[in-house]
Amino acid sequence: MVKFFKGFILASVILSFTIFGSIAKAADPIRIPVLNWSSQIVMANVMAQIFEEQGFTAELVPAESASRYEAVRIGDLHVAHETWESTMALPFYEAMDKGGLIDAGSHDLITFEEMGIPNWVIDEGLCPGLPNWEALKSPECAANFATADSGGKGRWLEGPYEWHTDVMPNRLKGLGIDDLWMVKFAGSADALWAELDAAKKEGRGTVIFNWSPNFTDASGFTFIDFPPYFEGCRLENGGSLETTGCGSPKGWLKKAAHIKFPITHPAAYKFYTKMSFTAPQIGLMADLVDNQGMSHADAATQFIADHRDLMDLWMN
Amino acid sequence: MLNDSSTIGKEPVIKCESVYKIFGNNAAKLLANASGPISAEEFQKAGCIIGVNNASFEINKGEMLVVMGLSGSGKSTLLRCISRLTDPTSGNIFIDGKNLLEMNSKQLIELRRNKMGMVFQSFALLPHKTVLENIAFPLIIKGLPTDESITKAMEMVELVGLKGRENYFPRELSGGQQQRVGIARSLAVEPDIWFLDEPFSALDPLIRKEMQDEFLRLQDSLHKTIMFVTHDFDEALRLADRIAIMKDGIIEQLDTPDNIVLNPATEYVKKFTEDVPREKVLKIESIMDKYNQSLAGNNTVSKDAIIETVAESILESKENLTVIDSKKNNEPVGILQPSKVIKVLFGK
Amino acid sequence: MFEDIKKSRQKQFLFLFFIFLILYFFVPKNEASYFWRLPPLLKDIPLIFNTLLDNLMFNWFTVPVWDPDWQMYEDKTLFRIITRSISNSVLFFIIFIREIFLGGYQTVSSILGDGITKTFSWLYIPALPWTAVVIGAAIIGYKLEGIRLAIIAGIGFLYVSVFGQWEPSMQTLSLVLFTAPVCFILGLSLGIWGYLSKRVEATLQPILNVAQTMPHFSYLVPIVVLFGVGDHAGSIATIIFATPPMVRLTILGLKKISPEVIESGLMSGCNKFQLLFRVLIPTARRDILIGVNQVIMQCLAMTTIAAFIGAKGLGFNLKVALNSLKIGKAAEIGICVVIIAVVLDKLSLAWANKQKDYFANLGFYQRNRLSIFFIFFTIICSIVAFFASYYFPEGFNYLYLIPFNKGLTVSPILDAFVDWIWNTFFYYLNTFNIFLLTNVLGPMKQAYLNMPVISTFLLFMGAGYIIGGIRSCLIVGSLILFIALSEYWDRALITLYMATFAVSVSAISGIIVGSLCSQNNFASKSILSLCDFFQTFPSFIYLIPVILLFGITDTSVMIAAIVYASVPATRYTVEGLRSVPPSLHDAGSMSGVSKMQRWRLIDLPLALPHIMLGINQTVIFALMMIVLGALIGTEDLGQLIMGSLSRPNGAGIGFTLGIFISFICLAVDNLIRTWSNERKKLLGIE
Ligand SMILES: Nc1ncnc2c1ncn2[C@@H]1O[C@H](COP(=O)(O)OP(=O)(O)OP(=O)(O)O)[C@@H](O)[C@H]1O
Ligand SMILES: [Mg+2]
Repeated sequence: MVKFFKGFILASVILSFTIFGSIAKAADPIRIPVLNWSSQIVMANVMAQIFEEQGFTAELVPAESASRYEAVRIGDLHVAHETWESTMALPFYEAMDKGGLIDAGSHDLITFEEMGIPNWVIDEGLCPGLPNWEALKSPECAANFATADSGGKGRWLEGPYEWHTDVMPNRLKGLGIDDLWMVKFAGSADALWAELDAAKKEGRGTVIFNWSPNFTDASGFTFIDFPPYFEGCRLENGGSLETTGCGSPKGWLKKAAHIKFPITHPAAYKFYTKMSFTAPQIGLMADLVDNQGMSHADAATQFIADHRDLMDLWMN
Repeated sequence: MLNDSSTIGKEPVIKCESVYKIFGNNAAKLLANASGPISAEEFQKAGCIIGVNNASFEINKGEMLVVMGLSGSGKSTLLRCISRLTDPTSGNIFIDGKNLLEMNSKQLIELRRNKMGMVFQSFALLPHKTVLENIAFPLIIKGLPTDESITKAMEMVELVGLKGRENYFPRELSGGQQQRVGIARSLAVEPDIWFLDEPFSALDPLIRKEMQDEFLRLQDSLHKTIMFVTHDFDEALRLADRIAIMKDGIIEQLDTPDNIVLNPATEYVKKFTEDVPREKVLKIESIMDKYNQSLAGNNTVSKDAIIETVAESILESKENLTVIDSKKNNEPVGILQPSKVIKVLFGK
Repeated sequence: MFEDIKKSRQKQFLFLFFIFLILYFFVPKNEASYFWRLPPLLKDIPLIFNTLLDNLMFNWFTVPVWDPDWQMYEDKTLFRIITRSISNSVLFFIIFIREIFLGGYQTVSSILGDGITKTFSWLYIPALPWTAVVIGAAIIGYKLEGIRLAIIAGIGFLYVSVFGQWEPSMQTLSLVLFTAPVCFILGLSLGIWGYLSKRVEATLQPILNVAQTMPHFSYLVPIVVLFGVGDHAGSIATIIFATPPMVRLTILGLKKISPEVIESGLMSGCNKFQLLFRVLIPTARRDILIGVNQVIMQCLAMTTIAAFIGAKGLGFNLKVALNSLKIGKAAEIGICVVIIAVVLDKLSLAWANKQKDYFANLGFYQRNRLSIFFIFFTIICSIVAFFASYYFPEGFNYLYLIPFNKGLTVSPILDAFVDWIWNTFFYYLNTFNIFLLTNVLGPMKQAYLNMPVISTFLLFMGAGYIIGGIRSCLIVGSLILFIALSEYWDRALITLYMATFAVSVSAISGIIVGSLCSQNNFASKSILSLCDFFQTFPSFIYLIPVILLFGITDTSVMIAAIVYASVPATRYTVEGLRSVPPSLHDAGSMSGVSKMQRWRLIDLPLALPHIMLGINQTVIFALMMIVLGALIGTEDLGQLIMGSLSRPNGAGIGFTLGIFISFICLAVDNLIRTWSNERKKLLGIE
């Protein structure tokens, strides 16, 4: 009985594999990762629609922001079209070093990621002197930013730990204000936005990690001015405790591609390398969905129609 | 129904030659240096449990052998060996002269599909199938077309008197009804050999009696070769052509009912049969005196009659009776004193 | 005194706790001392795992494969070729099913080649109009059970369509329609195999244990490495999660079959094949069906998680909605998930219970009446939809597919409701939150972190010894030792602190709610349905409202975990209490006990073993949610597990920490199960 059953299983497994492994040499669409924020999804849709216009098939694949570089590297994805310098440079370069991922140029904008406060915090005067970081030295200020679990200190809400690991705790030390402030790591971007709303409701000040371009640009958000960034100022890049209080660098927004993409889909790759969006354009993409209530695909269609000449330029 | 061609001459339908069934790891070693029955101590020493211990017997066509014995004496195991639900540790079993133990699984399946039927102690119906589907099951398994199987199963339903309940599930039936389904199922393929393992033991006395009557009625018309397991001596006496009494796997005695009662072969059988009411076993033949014309009375009684069945009329007659042989033109063969009947009924 | 301790378990536990306290306060907090913390001897495990995976995928057993793109031979590892061909087959099926609902040309082009669909643009599978699918679902429901199921199935799909979730729902459905049968077949086969062979069962047991208790996020990265991202990866992750209960229940069901039933099958002349499919499996049907129900529930519970590694559908849309804090929208999507779960569950159940009518002598038309209806309606619907496209000028054909932003929506109402709760209760809740954090959670966390490793071991192994003797003691000890020898012991302690809190509150509330509801038939049924709802309703959705109410704090994580983990505690309490024999109830009533006394003296002790198994599940659920709580923000093992998703080399660390969580579960499981089995034997249940 056991033998019979083993044989039965083995036979059916082998059979199904030989049959389907051979016929299902899946049609090879261009696989574009989609993450969970609007502008990224709309941009993916724009690319997909253009690629289909060029005669390719394109498939949108839900993915995670950092692990997609490994996927691009081994060819499970063809592109990664929004690569932020400060959060994703590390996995980006690591994948490039291992081989398989190529740099397909940058978008035409400067990205910035930094701790900041919603504008109403300044308006309410919760911490006079902001956005200059020196204002954070005041204990009264810090007290306005305290929460139940911050041990009386003011709370910085950082993004997930793996985004910049210990940069922010080190910065507090470098600035000498770690006796007044502490860093709490949020678990996800969703949590950051929820905190923005919750703090406002409570009337409690909040310092959170944010970036631009982002949808918060519209609702009023100010980044704190920290001492200027320079190469190697951070502890993890060989800096010292004195210099590690530096702020964040202005950064690029890169496009990554799988190494075979130029060969397998030359026309698509050409468009991809030329493609270069500006901050207002990315803002528009988010706006079409978030404020005008369009679906991502419709927003992309609309966007392409509005920017036809640009698209044509990039296609040729 | 009787296909005589398959039994050539007096060839027994079932034939066992020193069959052993021993549970445990050292069974083979134990058997290698043994001949004849193995004693209980030996088993215990080897850490084995004995199921069947050196069973040899034959069953002829149309005969009903009732197997008796205490719980755990190996009755079910013996049946399982002969139906090869379990493989005997050693010995030979012949079904219609063919060696059962040498059959491969295909032959075995053929045998079971066409020749054997079995009724189980705990009914063993398939819970997910209706009465009808349960009965049709062996036919469908055999490969008969569905509608044919269903028609045949419907006949069986009627035969066991369950018409109108064919779409019930087993859980919706009483114990007696479930056992009828079990009987119908085992009969559906029209087997020549019929194994029944305590088929009526789960039933209350009234239904049991009813089922026994029905069973006899069936057997009257079907003439199957039957092995029937029971705990109940009354039942055995009502049904049996021959009775086998088992103890610890050993068949202590295999004989006709009256011989077992009158001439127990071992102490155990004697004790086993001690409480059996003689009148239910003994035939007039066994208590009659030699024929003597001067003492013979007017009333007659058949020598094959069971005492119990004729006791009342004998006791009423007060004088001696003439015993006759109903098979030989009612030729007188002996005389019977009513006092002997009283002795059987009330004394030792 | 020692005699006393030997006899009473209570005293043993008191004694154990006493020693625990002594050690707790007297072992110095000295990093070098092995009593305080063990050295991280096993810290290389994640690295080893990564290296192994890396080698399997890129270095070992390479074969040269012709690469048409490079025009040269490329070395590919055998392992990778195998995993990728599995990926391909899985993807093929999912896309095929998906294209039946939504249309497309990928199936055709993957069978006939890419070029074909480009030359012949008409060569594709057309989408079914949603009206046809709704009618189809109703017809299937009708055929399987009757008008009741027809209505349920029809309305379910109608809701999904009218609320504009058609496309993602069909994407999710296609994933489930592939995954659930695979789980079923795989689970059934493994179950049968385990039933047939003791050795296989012994090997399966620990694997199942780990697969069932490991947080999903810890095997997502390895899956991505092995199989790539996409629907197939989501499907494979779901298979890992949803198959174990099926295997277990199959083994359980088969073991319960009486040997006589099997013999009766043999005597009916069954060959092995017939015996398996006609006797064994159908007889074990009850348990197998519970397995099917579990498979479907688990498959849909995984939709959101599968979206992390590329599964399209409701889960992904849910994540997008949550990212912009659209809670109402997210809840609507969540309800679609529940609806699909309920409809599939009911249909599969009806299918399994369907009875055949042997006497109906039907003609071709009668036999195929419903199929003919279905084809007829599909054609009608397609024609109507086709003409309707002239009628709806703005490009959306409502009779074909209602796009997500054009459907009905109640999300403004839901949002308003959330806002209302927020506005009304925020200040009270905030006060409560501050109180809880400063007086309970904060100190508790510190207390756990101040626990010397020796006293942790004493507590666990001591409990193991008291409950299950030396065997349990060693099993529990070695499970914990594995964690203690890593560098994540402190994080594990934080996880443990959160788990302790969440489990205690969930268990108490679950038992209370369950006890109250089990008093009454209607209430029991309702609460069990509610449990079903919360088991499939994506737990992600309540992460955000919870943050709004309680901020990014441990309280939020605890609340989310408690909501989710109360489900099994409640369910098992209701089931346990409901199965107390009524005769005992009556006996109790006759001896004049009050309701409260009866509950305390009769019902609870009898139901306790079953309830404890619920607590066991509660532990697992709580830990899963605590790991998910990392999305809110935690500092425990979960944070690193979630983080591993976006780390380039996350596979090793995520997997290792997942195993840690699983070991915590298994240690608790061992204690509870040993106790509960012993108890059951004592009470003569089982
Ligand atoms: N599979 C088995 N493994 C080990 N021992 C067994 C097995 N089956 C039966 N036995 C042993 O064989 C002996 C005979 O069992 P069997 O079932 O034949 O008894 P029985 O006469 O049918 O009893 P009952 O009247 O209770 O049905 C018993 O001692 C039993 O313990
Ligand atoms: Mg028996």
